[in-house]
Amino acid sequence: MLAHQQAVFRFAYLLLGDADDAEDIAQETFLRAWNHLRRFDETRSLRPWLLSIASNLSSNRRRSAGRYLAALTRAFREQPKDRLIEETHSQSAEADQLWKAVQRLALPDQQVIYLRYFLDLPVAETAETLQIAEGTVKSRLNRALEKLRKIIDRDFPVFADRREGREA
Amino acid sequence: MSEMDFETQMRSIAQRINYPHTPDIAGRVMSRLRRFPSPTGRGVRGEGRSRFISKGWAWSLTLIVVLLFSLMLIPPVRAAVLEFIQIGIVRIFPRPTDTPPLETPRTATPQSFAPVTATPYLESSTLLVDLSRLAGEKTLPQAQSLVSSYYPILLPTYPRDVGEPDRVFVQDADGAMTILVWFDPNDPEKVMLSLHIIPEGSWAIRKSEPVTIEETLVNGQRAVWAVGPYPLRYSNGDIDFTRLIDGHVLIWTDGNVTYRLESNLSMEEAIKVAESLQSLP
Repeated sequence: MLAHQQAVFRFAYLLLGDADDAEDIAQETFLRAWNHLRRFDETRSLRPWLLSIASNLSSNRRRSAGRYLAALTRAFREQPKDRLIEETHSQSAEADQLWKAVQRLALPDQQVIYLRYFLDLPVAETAETLQIAEGTVKSRLNRALEKLRKIIDRDFPVFADRREGREA
Repeated sequence: MSEMDFETQMRSIAQRINYPHTPDIAGRVMSRLRRFPSPTGRGVRGEGRSRFISKGWAWSLTLIVVLLFSLMLIPPVRAAVLEFIQIGIVRIFPRPTDTPPLETPRTATPQSFAPVTATPYLESSTLLVDLSRLAGEKTLPQAQSLVSSYYPILLPTYPRDVGEPDRVFVQDADGAMTILVWFDPNDPEKVMLSLHIIPEGSWAIRKSEPVTIEETLVNGQRAVWAVGPYPLRYSNGDIDFTRLIDGHVLIWTDGNVTYRLESNLSMEEAIKVAESLQSLP
């Protein structure tokens, strides 16, 4: 439990954007895992199974809070662009901007990006968590990145310029 | 920017996100499992119970708890369940409630049992006071002679230039506990590393809810990595004292001996130090 609590908490936090909700989901994840332990195949890795439970619970939570989140999202999008992007050299602020951009994606695209890039899971574990084929992980990731790039170019211009500038 | 570059950059940026501190999920789940939930299952926030627990789920939890208690009556199962919070004589207790960690050391420290800590964030003056009060200072050969019938004193060979400890203490904690201390060569007033070698039967060492607890391996054997701040309590039933530890600690066992390495190193580096231990020539 100790070995995986951070990954489960962080995944739930990324999906829900709220630390209290993430804690609730993480607790429920481990309780549910305990309850269904006999169904778990011990030859497989525990982490994807736990993350899969966390993903399902988070999805339910998102649905139950869907209207509230939708209102928040609308409010966020209606803000002027220059308020969306704060000029800062903080690396964590840059990561927060990326997170905001990822949150504009559909949930399956968010999930694959969170698992692969934010939590740094291997393709195999990502596939196991999402219960899809490894090839599907790669194709979904490519499509998600394309969409993410467009979102960043369109709605996060300062962030996009900085990324390009750093590369130059 | 190519797709590959974009992907690489996204991955790099994503790794730098600031997550909130991970709460003690394990401790709170264990706490929930140990308690029977109320029939309504409505949890109280901040007491480790969910805000959105359903009635059906509450009954499921009741069954789980009954099952857990039944299993806990079987010694091997009980040992397996509790194993992850016990290593050697060190017991790690999850925080049962949302009580904040201690902010100042609480010291009821008997003169002869003052602990040595290589706490990197402690001011050096505090640390030196602790060292000056510490009883049982020996030379390395004296210490080896004193404890040789219980265990060998092992010294790290990593980092290569670590050398012999600057201070050596042997203390009676219902077992001859050896404490080795290395000072920072760039700042001799600061401790760089301390190694506690604790035989079986010594005082129990308890730590409550470190910021991070992680299981790892030292020489292929189970070990625990803990990051402060957390209260560290030594006790033998009659006397105990507590102080705040703010450093990083690696704990592992070898036979009946418990090792506790405190440093400001990363876990990987601490493991290298632990695995480099060798007997005195």
